[in-house]
Amino acid sequence: MLQEERRHRTETITLSGRESERLSRPDIRDEFGLETMDMNMGPQHPSMHGLLRLILELDGETVVRCDPVMGYLHRCQEKIAENRMYPSVIPLTDRLDYFANMHNEHGYCLAVEDLMDIEIPPRAEYIRVLMCELMRLASHIPSVGFLLLELGAFTPILYGFRERERIQNIFEAVTGARMMFHYIRIGGVKADLPEDMPEKIWNYVEDLEKTFKRDFIDLIEGNEIFISRTRGVGKMSQEKAVEMGLTGPPLRCTGVDFDVRRDYPYSIYPELDFDVVTDEAGDVEASYRVRIKECYQSIRIIKQVLEKMPEGAVMADLGRRLRPPEGEGFGRVEGPRGEFAVHVVSDGSDIPYRVHYRDPSFVNMQLLQEIVPGHYLPDIMPIMGLVDPVSGGWDK
Amino acid sequence: MAVRLPEGNLQDRLERYLGKFRDHHELEEEEIEGNVVRVAVKPEDVPAVLTTAREALNILHLSFITVVDREGSFDLTYELLDLRGGIVKVKTAIEGEEPVIESVARIYPTANWHEREAYDMFGIAFRGHPDLRRPYMWQDHFDHHPLLKSFEISTKRTFEGLR
Repeated sequence: MLQEERRHRTETITLSGRESERLSRPDIRDEFGLETMDMNMGPQHPSMHGLLRLILELDGETVVRCDPVMGYLHRCQEKIAENRMYPSVIPLTDRLDYFANMHNEHGYCLAVEDLMDIEIPPRAEYIRVLMCELMRLASHIPSVGFLLLELGAFTPILYGFRERERIQNIFEAVTGARMMFHYIRIGGVKADLPEDMPEKIWNYVEDLEKTFKRDFIDLIEGNEIFISRTRGVGKMSQEKAVEMGLTGPPLRCTGVDFDVRRDYPYSIYPELDFDVVTDEAGDVEASYRVRIKECYQSIRIIKQVLEKMPEGAVMADLGRRLRPPEGEGFGRVEGPRGEFAVHVVSDGSDIPYRVHYRDPSFVNMQLLQEIVPGHYLPDIMPIMGLVDPVSGGWDK
Repeated sequence: MAVRLPEGNLQDRLERYLGKFRDHHELEEEEIEGNVVRVAVKPEDVPAVLTTAREALNILHLSFITVVDREGSFDLTYELLDLRGGIVKVKTAIEGEEPVIESVARIYPTANWHEREAYDMFGIAFRGHPDLRRPYMWQDHFDHHPLLKSFEISTKRTFEGLR
């Protein structure tokens, strides 16, 4: 019975990206005998998320085939990591998904700590979670702005980047850098928060909570153009979302409530009180709503962390040279785009034998070749806003 | 149509997973550690084991496929999540200079790109894969597989000197 089901699945799998398939499908020609047209979108397209090239096959204005081509930003980070000592890999992880630097660092450090069985001081855990949630805000808010920018609205991206700028100021005061932090270290964090920082962060999130509705929700929701461009666009079922291995907002907007922070808890998330936001519609508008609601959850988490933050050291004493024992370590965190997982294999020396990143941008982008066909050409950009991939993430 | 996620006690569920694997397949190693079920199987059994996981046990999410080059053999780890706290790691090892393994893209469609990546980086051929092109490297003019241990990067010597 299993065998039969497997054969059935083989037949139903879509063979996107195959030239031969196009030639063997005469039905693409219309009554005038006209063929479809191939069109290249990117890698240097003004509204493309980074360096992505889409090979599109168009029938009039309808997309018949969409084939993402990656590799324009590929640095083979996994190979570079195999030639560096364990702590020196952390700055590289910053360059993966550059809208989720803190999550990447956190995931890698969790993997090495899992390998070495390190207990880290409680204050460091709280600071890590605080930084990660700020990072999530600094990613979700411009993401919403990008989505609107692609629909032709210019204001939300300015508001989005204004908020991101204020969060980056916080990061700069805490870590010394605005984007490439190298802040979360194996065994803790680089430095304690500056004296007045908890209060400043508290004031900032209070302010954000008050102005968020005015600046984003009231501006966007209910707008006729926004609704007509996003409602029902990129619609997918729960089965499709799970089948394609989606995580993060693209999965949750279909109604599957999966969040690594709750279902595979790490750090201090079990002690915190937050909701996993889901939506039923499974289209671009739903993913927008999920991102907006997650911002409120992040603010809620930040406030709890600031209230509960204990005193104490921020770094475990590990000695200067890390020599993890032979074995494997796993780290899994919920980034703004979904599940970010790191697999570190050690051979007992001071450089990793193998580092593997599972980046949500890479996996979620598979969705493009499944749901873009059938949509109009201008709908591609809202769908990119649903998936919200980041170039550094899918290219490693 | 809604996706049905597993319910109930995590430990019982993990025992059930392992029991089912044990009943239907020949396992080389098996253990439960924390929330992880770890099984090692022969490479030719991988599609069958993953079919059991997907169809009989309703484990819906393939998180990633890690390949490790052990110089002479390749270790593959298929990490499956049931989305409710349970993890199943299916491990296998392929011998040989030109490794071949059956594709699992027909069982977990998300494996499509993971396998493409593994092919690009290690040169592992996935038999029956629907679309085995290189995602990162140049398809036509780059004959190397960069994550193989035999592929040395030009700056390696510098780092060795520093250590």
